Amino acid sequence: MRQGRLIATGAMLAFCLFALWQSLLLSLTDRLGPGPGFFPFWLAMIGAVLAVALMISTFREAADPPDTPRILPHGPGGKRWFAIVGLLAAVTVAMDFLGFRLAMLAFNAALVIALGERRWWLVALFAGMGSFGVYYVFTTWLDVILPSGRLGL
Amino acid sequence: MESLGHLLSGFAAALSWHYLLYAFAGCTLGTLIGVLPGLGPAAGTAILIPLTFSLDPTGAIIMLCAIYYGAMYGGTITSVLINVPGEAASVVTCIDGHQMARQGRAGSALGIAAIGSFIGGTLATVALVVVAMPLASLALKFGPAEFFALMVAGLCLVVGLAGRNILAALLMTVIGLLLAMIGLDPVRGAPRFTFGMEELFDGIGFVPVVMGLFGVAELLLAAETRQARMIEAELKTWLPTRQECRDSAGAIGRGTVVGFVLGLIPGVGAIVPTFMAYVLEKRVSKTPERFGKGAIEGVASAETANNAYANAAMVPLLALGIPSSPTIAVLMGAFIINGITPGPFLFTEQPALVWTVIASFFVGNALLLILNLPLVGLWARLLKIPFSYMCCGVLIFCVIGAYGLKQSLFDVWVMLGFGIIGYLLRKLDFPIAPAILALILGPMMEKSLRTTLEISGGSFAIFLDRPVALVLLAVPVIVIGFILLKPRSLAKLRESDVE
Repeated sequence: MRQGRLIATGAMLAFCLFALWQSLLLSLTDRLGPGPGFFPFWLAMIGAVLAVALMISTFREAADPPDTPRILPHGPGGKRWFAIVGLLAAVTVAMDFLGFRLAMLAFNAALVIALGERRWWLVALFAGMGSFGVYYVFTTWLDVILPSGRLGL
Repeated sequence: MESLGHLLSGFAAALSWHYLLYAFAGCTLGTLIGVLPGLGPAAGTAILIPLTFSLDPTGAIIMLCAIYYGAMYGGTITSVLINVPGEAASVVTCIDGHQMARQGRAGSALGIAAIGSFIGGTLATVALVVVAMPLASLALKFGPAEFFALMVAGLCLVVGLAGRNILAALLMTVIGLLLAMIGLDPVRGAPRFTFGMEELFDGIGFVPVVMGLFGVAELLLAAETRQARMIEAELKTWLPTRQECRDSAGAIGRGTVVGFVLGLIPGVGAIVPTFMAYVLEKRVSKTPERFGKGAIEGVASAETANNAYANAAMVPLLALGIPSSPTIAVLMGAFIINGITPGPFLFTEQPALVWTVIASFFVGNALLLILNLPLVGLWARLLKIPFSYMCCGVLIFCVIGAYGLKQSLFDVWVMLGFGIIGYLLRKLDFPIAPAILALILGPMMEKSLRTTLEISGGSFAIFLDRPVALVLLAVPVIVIGFILLKPRSLAKLRESDVE
C-alpha cells in the first residue's frame, strides 16, 4: 500500500509539473488581467507542493505488514478484472468498424462467458437483447445516436 | 407566500402524466440500482443519464432526481436482508435492520424504513421550499469575489471531512481542478492543454469521467472480490405494527432534523447524518442496550436522516449552485448538459423548471412509499441476478452514456481510462469525491476569480474589502487548520462513534 501510494503520488507530481510547464507556454497575464495560463499555473504549483508533502508524509509511514492486500488484480478475480478491461477496450475499437449492434453482441457474449456463464441459450438471449434490443430502444424510443460502423449495421 | 404560489404551479406541472411517468421510472430504476450491492446513488445516477438524453430538461432533471432518492432507499433493502449496504449511507441500517431480519422482522424494518424515508424526505422538501428562495435572493447580491469564495469554501469543507487523508484530498481537489482546465479558456476562448486534439476543445467530458470513476471502477472492484450472495432473511409481512410505529415516531422526527441540517453543509456526505441520527437515538433512548440487537428506532432514525439529507442537499445546489456530494455533482452535471446552470439565477430565470422539479420531490417521495411497501419482495429477488449479467448490463449503459452525449468513441476511452484510475485510487485510499466536485466547479471558479481580479486590476486585496468573501474564505482555513492541528482527537472521536 505504502509503495503504491508513493508511486501514485509520484505520478500526480509528474502530472502537476507537466501542467506547470504547459501553463507557462500560455500567457499568465494580459492587458485585461489574468491570462489563460494564470489559474492552471497556480493550481499546478500548489498541486506540486502538495504532492511533495504527501510523498514525504507517506515515506515516513511505517512499512506495510506482510499480509497487506495487493494493489494490482491477481488470481481468479484478476482474470475477471482483465476480461472486463480487455473486452471494454476491444468493443471500443470494434464499434468503429462493426457498429454498436455487432460489436456489443460479441462483447456481451464474451463477457458473460468470461464471468462464468455456460448456458449457451442464455448467453445468446442476453447478447442479442443487450445489443440489437438495446440499440432499438435507444435509437427508436430515446433518440440516442449510436454508431452504425463502416458496414452500416 | 410567493414560494407557495410557485410551488402550486410546480405541482400542476409535476402532476402531468408524462412527468409522473418520468418520476415513477426514476424511482423504480433508482431503487433497482440501489438494491444491487456496489452500485451507489452516484454510479446509478451517472450510468442512467443516457436514458434522459431525449427528454426535455425538466423531465430529465425530474427523472435523475428520482433515480437519486430511489437509489438512496434501495440500499436499505440489501442492508436489512443480507447485511450488505447497497450504498455507503445504508451502513448504519445494517446494525439493527439485519438483526430485525434475523428475528423474522424484516418486513417491519423495511416498512419503517419506507415510512421514515417518506416522512423525512417530505418534511425536508417542505423546509427546502421555505429556505431555498430566501437563500437564492441573498446569493443574488453576491459578486464574483463572493462566488469564488463560496466555491472555495464548499470544496474545502469536502476536503476537511477526509480526516487523516487531508493532504491526499487536497491534492485530489487540485488534480480535479487541473482536469477542468482542459479545453477552451472560459474567459478568452484560447485552447489550453488540448494538444491540437479536437475532442479536447470542449474539455474532458464530465459524464465519461463520472461513469468511469463510479460505474466502471465499482465493477472492477466487485469483479475482484465477487462472492455468492444468499438471502438469509425471509419476508413475512411488509408493515410495522402499531406499537413499532409509535416507538419510531420520535426517531423519525429527530432523524429529519439531523438529516436536513447536515444536508445543508457541503461535503458532509450521507453517512454522517445517518450515523449522527443513530448515535443521537441511542443517547436519548431509555433502553440503549437494545441498539445493535434489532431496535426499530435505530432503523427509523438512520433511514429518515438519510432521505432528509438527500432532499436537503438540493438546497445548496439549487440556491447557490454548489454541489455538496458526488451524487449532487453528477446531478449538477446533468443540469449543465441540459443547458441549465444551477444557482441563485435559476429561481428568477427559470422559475417554472425549478418549482416543477421541487414539486416532483414531493411526488417522488410519495411514489417511493407506494413502490417500496408492497414491492419489497420483488426487489429482494433482484439480489439473485448473477454478477455476470449485472456487470454486463451496467457496462452497456456506461458505453452508451459515454458515447451518446457527443457521439464520440474518444469519450468511451476516457471512461475506460478513468475506470482504471478510479479502481487504483480506491485501492490506494485516495478520496475521489473532491476531484469530482473540483472537476465540475473548476470552470466556474476560474471565471469568478479572473473576473474578480479584472475588476480589482489584479489585486487580491479585493477579498479583504468584501466581508462576505472574507468570511467564506476564512471557513476552510479554520476547518482545515483545526483538522491538521487536532488529528488525534478527531481520530479518537471517530473510533468512539464506530464502537
